Amino acid sequence: MLRQPLSRALALTSPTRAAPLAARRFAEQVQARPDNVEVFIDDQPVYVPPGTTVLQAAAQVGVEIPRFCYHERLAVAGNCRMCLVEVEKSPKPVAACAMPVMKGMRVKTNSDLTRKAREGVMEFLLVNHPLDCPICDQGGECDLQDQSMAFGSDKSRFTDIHFSGKRAVEDKDVGPLIKTIMTRCIHCTRCIRFASEVAGVDDFGTTGRGTDMQVGTYVEKMFLSELSGNIIDLCPVGALTSKPYSFAARPWETRRIDSVDVLDPLGSNIVVATRTNEVLRILPRTNEEINEEWLADKSRFACDGLKRQRLVTPMMADSRGNLTPCEWEDAIVAAARALRDCPPDKLVAVSGDLADAESLVALKDLLNKLGSENTCTEQYFPLEGSGIDFRSSYLLNTKIANVEEADFVLLIGTNVRFEAPLLNARIRKAFIHKETDVALVGPKVDLTYDYMHVGDSASIVKDLATGTSAHEVLKRLESAKRPVVILGADQLKTQEGSALLAYTQELALRLQDKLQDKNWKVLNVLQRTASQVAALDIGYKPGVGKVLEAGPKVVYLLGADAGVVTRESLPKDAVVIYQGHHGDVGAQAADIVLPGAAYTEKRATYVNAEGRAQQTLVAVTPPGKAREDWKIIRALSEVVGERLPYDNLDEVRTRMSEISPALVSYGDVQDNNYFAQARALAQSLQKPVSGKLDVQLKTLEDYFMTDSISRASPTMAKCVQAVLKQKQSPY
Amino acid sequence: MSVAKLLALDKVAKLFNIIKQNGGIRASLYKLYKQEELKDGVLVGEDKFGNKYYENPRYFYSRNRWVEYSEKVHLNYDASQVPAEWYGWLHYKTDLPPHQDPSRPHYKWMAEFTENLSGTTGQYTPYSTTRAKIEPWVPKPKTGA
Amino acid sequence: MSARQAIQVGTKTVKPVLSSSQGEARSRVLSLYKAWYRQIPYLVKDFDIPKSDEQCRAKLKEIFLKNKDVTDIRVIDILVIKGQMELKESVKMWKQKGHIMAYFKPTEEPKPKDFLSKFFSSNE
Repeated sequence: MLRQPLSRALALTSPTRAAPLAARRFAEQVQARPDNVEVFIDDQPVYVPPGTTVLQAAAQVGVEIPRFCYHERLAVAGNCRMCLVEVEKSPKPVAACAMPVMKGMRVKTNSDLTRKAREGVMEFLLVNHPLDCPICDQGGECDLQDQSMAFGSDKSRFTDIHFSGKRAVEDKDVGPLIKTIMTRCIHCTRCIRFASEVAGVDDFGTTGRGTDMQVGTYVEKMFLSELSGNIIDLCPVGALTSKPYSFAARPWETRRIDSVDVLDPLGSNIVVATRTNEVLRILPRTNEEINEEWLADKSRFACDGLKRQRLVTPMMADSRGNLTPCEWEDAIVAAARALRDCPPDKLVAVSGDLADAESLVALKDLLNKLGSENTCTEQYFPLEGSGIDFRSSYLLNTKIANVEEADFVLLIGTNVRFEAPLLNARIRKAFIHKETDVALVGPKVDLTYDYMHVGDSASIVKDLATGTSAHEVLKRLESAKRPVVILGADQLKTQEGSALLAYTQELALRLQDKLQDKNWKVLNVLQRTASQVAALDIGYKPGVGKVLEAGPKVVYLLGADAGVVTRESLPKDAVVIYQGHHGDVGAQAADIVLPGAAYTEKRATYVNAEGRAQQTLVAVTPPGKAREDWKIIRALSEVVGERLPYDNLDEVRTRMSEISPALVSYGDVQDNNYFAQARALAQSLQKPVSGKLDVQLKTLEDYFMTDSISRASPTMAKCVQAVLKQKQSPY
Repeated sequence: MSVAKLLALDKVAKLFNIIKQNGGIRASLYKLYKQEELKDGVLVGEDKFGNKYYENPRYFYSRNRWVEYSEKVHLNYDASQVPAEWYGWLHYKTDLPPHQDPSRPHYKWMAEFTENLSGTTGQYTPYSTTRAKIEPWVPKPKTGA
Repeated sequence: MSARQAIQVGTKTVKPVLSSSQGEARSRVLSLYKAWYRQIPYLVKDFDIPKSDEQCRAKLKEIFLKNKDVTDIRVIDILVIKGQMELKESVKMWKQKGHIMAYFKPTEEPKPKDFLSKFFSSNE
């Protein structure tokens, strides 16, 4: 994949950017591929398309050329010179990362000249690099360390025994997440390119030349991005390291467990690094379908929230109403008594935003056995029309990766940047590399790229759907070959939600019908939480409004911390049972608290916004007396006298597959259909709408603390403070 | 050797003397019940906790100095209730009892004597100084209710 | 390894430990059982264990029946030798009361089997 050069990426913010239509390339447009050219890497022939770089050609035959500045997801800079290779008939060694292949090129990656060039480059890099590996946080995962061992010279010409001459650079303060030790910087400019291309925050740059060159933010300024943590991974040396993780552990001491993130609806793939039963840090795991190799800051840095405000023991309200710790037996028996004595129609279960599919299934089964149908989620979704009967009505049907292929994106009432940062990174990627245009209906927010702001009135959606809008966007949508419409799920909470959804469906399907590409899906609904899709798949009713009006006697909160169920909204004598892992809104309102496991402590299924089931794995054990969530419900069911028929995880999963096979087909995502049916059912709901669309997360400080884990995280609290402080600053 | 001594009448006299000194039959029986021993002796002193210290050189060495614990503790007396200075006298480390010994230092910083508190709520329990890995949630107490 | 050697290895008869036939091994087991059985009253008395003769006999039977499915003669022989050693250690008072009581596993708590007791007793 050829990336745009740096100059191109930097020129993007200009509003007069013209989109050359001719340059647009679509995946399914079969272009006449020019013949591949033959090149020889260490005398091995390889056929690659013209335009491929020498470095990529070498990678195809398994020859890895050392590099510092080159990164396959960033623009080519070609400034570190580490990838110098000898090319036959070339007078000088060439930089493999920037050199396109030519027919019959003979590259020698292991010749004397190449090795000498590498040794020379290495020596120059190390001249000004401090020898502080023993106290450097990058030690053990440092590209410079590894490559100086592999490609550096075996002897030193270092004679400065009085330590007089090494370059020293003042450290920068770029916020509470990233620690900078700028003396270690080797000027690869990966962070600069990431910030301007992927994160879309053009704060980083270089000043000075030669020895005086510095990477920094020009003025002291926080790196105001929701993707800032990725520059820690990108930095090949220890110049940018993680502040919360500083001096915590060495990479070889940690155990790494593959898992899935649950703090945003995308379900980014992560690696949880643990030591002595403690989560130390979270790193991204490459998954091209979801997060590529990036990770949003909340997902990465909120892991210290897993150690604070935890529920470690069951609790029951004593005679004065104060929660006091008790044994599991007492808590379960008390909860069971409450459930059994409650008339079924007064029994309600509410699931929160971090609930896993296993416990959702178990809780629904238990309530159904007790004769209650009142299982609901905190997040609302309109039940009129087709409601949640068709999966296509509440999923990201286009799929995250395909958003890159889109040529026009319409966002309705969503701030994708903070609701799903990595989806926004995809849209930005499409915007930069594929000339995609974006339009937004909703409040004006900073999405890190230019977009057409259509307005924030809901009636615009109606006009677009009915084709009566005079706005340019309608024309653009109709002429688009691969349009994408993304509707924020938060908009559906209001009275007009069902009409808005109906209009969005109408609009999306009208566009979809006209497309040449019959497999392209236009309609997307972006959920806000990691559990919502699974809950809707299982058959939870969205929204608690109706069941709360009925005056429930027993409310079972499964991690419901969004605050939609409050003591004030319940009758005085109602019993609230809270099951979850953090002491937050829900636990404070509860009479009985059952401590569950957080997502790093259980093997559990989560379904992301596209409908892709993924599972987390056990990285650490649940703290104290906390147990895996489905087991708590299973134990409770036996005490109630309505034993659930599963004793281990496999049996729960079998039960899940009975409900929906999609819940257990891990990693796969299925194409959704029945758009036309949903549209037909929605026809009658197209009532006039007049409200304004508003989003909850408007600016960066709103982003960091949105759920019980991130609210408990001191790092996230520091981030909010730092962003607010930055707002005061004149820069 | 006198007749009285032959008939061990002096022992009987001594017994009566002891009973008398201890305050009659009732009091003597009570003391026997409390400390399983009945002795006569000179009251040498009393510490601030109410323990009384006696001496009678007629008994052989190591039994000739003893303590009768304070009435306040009743049967819950314990050797650790003897303060350090009287401990010294009881164990023949000093000839003079503490209140008659002018050479004993009394500094301001000297800590108050405490008995051994093991097994009570006041006992010393070792604790870890390392930070806990998990900070549990502490529910806010309900006000008013 | 050539084919001939392989066949030799495959058909090689193993050296017996004590017994050469199933019947002989059986008689060794039975005589060991009888020896233990006769010693039980003395063991109960000498070690002053809080168990009756009947309880000890039941335990003896249980321990012998634990290996009832062993068919390999060599294994049976080794088990008999070990049983003989145990018996000698007991009779000669080389063992102490605790060693005898260990047969009854008085401090071993049975592991929870069903879901609920597992949930309450362990950290699962």
